[in-house]
Amino acid sequence: MTESSAAVFEPGAGDPRFWRDGAIATTVFMLLVLLLLTVDSLRVLTEGGGGNVPAYTVINQKITYEFDAASNMDKPVIGEEELLFGHRYSEAEAKAIMDKGKLVIQSRSCINCHAFFGNGAYYAPDLTKAWLDPTWEKMWMPMTQAKTKEEAMVQFLMHPDRYPTWARQMPNLNLSEEEARAVTAYLKWISSVQTNGFPAGFGRREVAR
Amino acid sequence: MNQSKKLGVQYLTASIVMMGALLLFGLLASIFYLKYGFLLGKLDFNIVKQVHINALIIACLWGFMGAIYWFLPDELGIETVGIGLARLLFWVFVAAVAVVVLVFIFVQYGSSDESGMWLVNQGRKYVEAPRWAAIGIVAVFFTLAYNIFASVAKARKVTGIMGVLMTTMVPLIAVYLIAFPAPTNMSVDLYWWWWLVHMWVEATWELIIGCILALALMKLLGTSRKVVEIWLYLEVALVLGTGILGLGHHYFWIGTPQYWLSIGGIFSALEPLPLLGMVVHAIYDAGKHQMKTHNKPAFLWLIAEAFGNFIGAGIWGFMMTLPQINLYSHGTQWTVSHGHFAFYGAYITGIIAVAYMVAQESRGIREVRGNAWKWAFAGLNIGMVGMVGALLVSGMSEAFIGRALGGSTLDGFMASQSNSWFMQGMIARTGFGVIIVASYFILAWDLATLGRRREKPSPALATS
Amino acid sequence: MNPSWLLPTAALLGIYVLCAGCYGMVYALGRLRESRRLMHAAHAFYAVQGLTTLLLVALTPLAWGWKAFLLASFLVYAVIPPLTWRQLERTHALEHES
Repeated sequence: MTESSAAVFEPGAGDPRFWRDGAIATTVFMLLVLLLLTVDSLRVLTEGGGGNVPAYTVINQKITYEFDAASNMDKPVIGEEELLFGHRYSEAEAKAIMDKGKLVIQSRSCINCHAFFGNGAYYAPDLTKAWLDPTWEKMWMPMTQAKTKEEAMVQFLMHPDRYPTWARQMPNLNLSEEEARAVTAYLKWISSVQTNGFPAGFGRREVAR
Repeated sequence: MNQSKKLGVQYLTASIVMMGALLLFGLLASIFYLKYGFLLGKLDFNIVKQVHINALIIACLWGFMGAIYWFLPDELGIETVGIGLARLLFWVFVAAVAVVVLVFIFVQYGSSDESGMWLVNQGRKYVEAPRWAAIGIVAVFFTLAYNIFASVAKARKVTGIMGVLMTTMVPLIAVYLIAFPAPTNMSVDLYWWWWLVHMWVEATWELIIGCILALALMKLLGTSRKVVEIWLYLEVALVLGTGILGLGHHYFWIGTPQYWLSIGGIFSALEPLPLLGMVVHAIYDAGKHQMKTHNKPAFLWLIAEAFGNFIGAGIWGFMMTLPQINLYSHGTQWTVSHGHFAFYGAYITGIIAVAYMVAQESRGIREVRGNAWKWAFAGLNIGMVGMVGALLVSGMSEAFIGRALGGSTLDGFMASQSNSWFMQGMIARTGFGVIIVASYFILAWDLATLGRRREKPSPALATS
Repeated sequence: MNPSWLLPTAALLGIYVLCAGCYGMVYALGRLRESRRLMHAAHAFYAVQGLTTLLLVALTPLAWGWKAFLLASFLVYAVIPPLTWRQLERTHALEHES
């Protein structure tokens, strides 16, 4: 840069190195902030860590979703014992069935039609709070002639093609009974995650179909 | 032409071909919304959508790699080091992608254990490719990084642009590896998955395309290196300054602490500010050069990039980014509308611009002529604007009926999907999709035959 | 958020940025052609953005923090086009001098 052009600028502004150093400083600062926030977020996200994500054994308990006026958002509430498939899962058993459930969800590419926490595809309903959907008691238990909600879910997951569902139809993904139970358990657990109120008003609002 | 440039042409050609697959599977996916039970049990929506979004990723990566291999020898003045290995890997990469697509379409679902993850489908959005293929992609990235680093070392010349490009290779590989383990806990899984998706698409890729456009601008408009480098550094500061914590707008609802609502909201609401600067910049460049260039299509596609970015990421993003709105809009066709325009505006337009430059230079064309590019340019842009507009109508009605009124249950969802506003948006979307596909074929034909077909001199261009 | 305010609020937010975009675009065109009429049009767009900001602050159920943010960034939008333009002319002047 010549002397004459340097005079036109504030000191440094015409020199690429000034901007380079600025870019590096900004990036490093932001990365450090992200790193700190990540440490804290992972603590909150770890299952059973006392943050927003309950331990897998939460599937032994009743889960509801209620409006919390203090924080002005919907929050999952963990209640008294409510066994899944009439079985009390130990910590190891709960972990095993969750591992399986997650692998079933991945292997059937569920999130390319459905979504979890709103992430995935939007061709089929979001599954974040699917366990809490009133439709299981209202409609699917009578339709599948199952005695419990979880049995109705297993029936549906194994033979979705038997039950037409209005605007969409779920294909039969050849789930074994073990796989369908694992997915059901996974859905019960994931409904217990505190998600800052998403989805809002789930199960308490109604719209004419 | 040297080997590196030849490889560049190959990758760009492959990228344009992959855009065809992207569009055809996109159009096919749109029909599922119109016709109940379409291809049910034969080729389900999730498989079609999976091919659609993976084709997008591959088309972008191939476009970037093509541009990098093309510009590298110009920038460094030497043949790229290790180009033999890179040329071999190109064919391995193409073959691997073909195998993965065939497995997706014909095998579809794997078993729910580790073997299914290794051989068939990992079933995580954008990371569906089986693990063997993902490892292959890492190998290709390492080769690309080696090509760049070794060439810079041999040429003993680190330009500012090369410095930025070399730096981007680190997150390109690192965040891809971070997202691999896929823990059982969906909240933790998504936390790291967003590092991959956001840090690639909204940070690393922005910088790679920034480097590519910097190299392109120096050639296309003869802008001086000093000016280009100042703008590139400014872009790095703005993209990473807002983009790194902009990650927060994906951390609203996955189980993360509440402070992400404020952080994500603020940083993504800041995003339109630098994009507005880009719009002013594009008009400045267009005006000062009075559109005098020997490659008008490349130039116009670059202008389209600035506007597409502002509309897609700026306006569309801002409408739905504040947490109070996002609570209802997140995960509806509204998101789809934003995603389509943002990807198109930020990447596809840039790759097409580079493809025009490469076609011109590799075939020694003095001036790009003909009318085909005009039809393709108009058709693709009108089709895109129409499609995202239609998706916005569908998305808003879905958010209102299914989410705000219906509370996101199965009943709420189904009510939103059969609403007439939603359906009309979906019909219009498919219509505009047809326009996009038709325009794509004109584009591909134009790029393939540029300088190779006999044509009358175009008076409109000759005098401009 | 009250469901009936969802779509109007989103639309206002979209118009807010759209006006900013039009302001920047017409401003740049106005400087390029040295046209006073275009500059007036640019400021008119900025005024509409201001009106949108007022509506967002006065009517919508957004939290006060976001309303303050919208007001502040409305003020920042005013200076983006002139600042960018000045910086562009400066860097490009450099091109011819050095």
